[in-house]
Amino acid sequence: MMTDKEWTPKIVAFCCNWCSYGGADTAGMGRFQQPASTRVIRVMCSGRIDPLHVFNAFLEGADAVLVTGCHIGDCHYVNGNEKTEVRYQFLEEMLQQLGLEPDRLHLNWISASEGERFANFIKDVTAKVKELGPSPLKPAGVK
Amino acid sequence: MANVGDMVVGYATDENVRSRGASGGLVTAVLAAALEKGLVENVVVMKHINEFEAVPIITDNVEEVLASTGSLHSVPVNLAKYAVGRKVAMPAKPCDVQAVIEQGKREMIDLDNTYIVGLNCGGSMHPITTKKMLVEMYDIDPEDVIGEEIEKGKLIFKTKNGEEKAIAIDELEEAGFGRRESCRFCTLKIPVNADLACGNWGVIGDMAGNATFCQVMNEKGAKLLENAIEAGRIEVQPASDKAIAIRDKVNSVMEDLGSYLEKEIFPEIPDEERMQYYMDQMENCIDCGACKEVCPVCACGEDSKCTMFHSLVDNYKMSMYHLVRFMHLSDSCIACGQCSDVCPSDIPITLLQSRFSIPSQRRRNYQPGMNLDTPPFFEVMLK
Repeated sequence: MMTDKEWTPKIVAFCCNWCSYGGADTAGMGRFQQPASTRVIRVMCSGRIDPLHVFNAFLEGADAVLVTGCHIGDCHYVNGNEKTEVRYQFLEEMLQQLGLEPDRLHLNWISASEGERFANFIKDVTAKVKELGPSPLKPAGVK
Repeated sequence: MANVGDMVVGYATDENVRSRGASGGLVTAVLAAALEKGLVENVVVMKHINEFEAVPIITDNVEEVLASTGSLHSVPVNLAKYAVGRKVAMPAKPCDVQAVIEQGKREMIDLDNTYIVGLNCGGSMHPITTKKMLVEMYDIDPEDVIGEEIEKGKLIFKTKNGEEKAIAIDELEEAGFGRRESCRFCTLKIPVNADLACGNWGVIGDMAGNATFCQVMNEKGAKLLENAIEAGRIEVQPASDKAIAIRDKVNSVMEDLGSYLEKEIFPEIPDEERMQYYMDQMENCIDCGACKEVCPVCACGEDSKCTMFHSLVDNYKMSMYHLVRFMHLSDSCIACGQCSDVCPSDIPITLLQSRFSIPSQRRRNYQPGMNLDTPPFFEVMLK
């Protein structure tokens, strides 16, 4: 039963196919421990992540959303992650103005070899969100 | 010869147009001349029905343009979308001009073929509120009104039997009437982004009331003005230094008032209460989509992200429609107030949107709709 256990946040992580998804893989292969709080969604490029996807994740009950991709300059589609960055700035400002805690949305560049960095990132975010509690946008009835 | 940067005071040569125009009928005459001489194919004007009602028309008939003369303070419609896909000349408030340029940035309007005659604007009023105000504050039957005017901070109404009644705008706004909310915190009063910036500020002496102060802002403006002079529709003379000083003074007073009122209209809401504030404000939304339909800077067309990807049956805490719009417009919103005007549930959407867009635009030191130098922010150039 869920009630017996400690509440764990649900975190949606958008990972780009070439870097951060590989990073998540490396974290697993390197046996770096991380909380089982993330739901990874693979996209071909972080430039594919529309603010709409982030809004939808929050509205469907995500406690935090992570936008991850290749390091700037490493994008496999020339400059997809630069577009993400521009969009992310607006998204961040908008969600902050809306009243969502800044710790619920993160942007991070993780390469395919940075397994430890990925695991640590998930650990940090999970700890922070655990303190914040469930998202105010979570619909009633969603755990 | 008219040059860029010229400041002139002028009026229509046609006595009829001059006397019916709000201040000399210069704007009407310029538009009529542009149509006559083939500078444009159509002109967008407001066709009067009465003091509180007018419909925008796109016409190629000079008579109809001449008939549209006279100002309307209580018909706050934004004309930008009527210029889409046409070769037109149009009169425009500063916010109309901003919207036209924003549409131009998104390649919806060909700015080279669109002539904009900007009008000074101290604010417009909502027709329903105005009618209510006339009954409650002025004790005048709205049917009797034949004209209105703003002078020295007072709003003056003229009635059929020749009476005039003036009440200070501050007083009206305290009582909940007066200008629309979006006009109160607006700080763009002289349309410096238009081709010609016209208005009655700075018209002094015996010209007061029947001439227009006009500043030529760019090449297109010079062409417009020259064209009207050649057609014999207007007469102009250079503005005196005193007139220019007075115009600047009126402008700075209005701008200061705008920035002052902005602080009053947008009280700070603590971080932890904001989410609830937005939810409360939007709980009456019936999802009609009118605010998107009317938005003059939105260039998305029918199939857009905000309308296609949400459904009311999902019973979300906040509507996806508004979330997408809040973000999408944060760089381009000009706070014209159209969305609040049309909302059937009376949600102050302009005020909500401005809470997102004003800080966002300030941070980037950017004012939308001023020139074509800055591309839309979401458009990142490929290197």
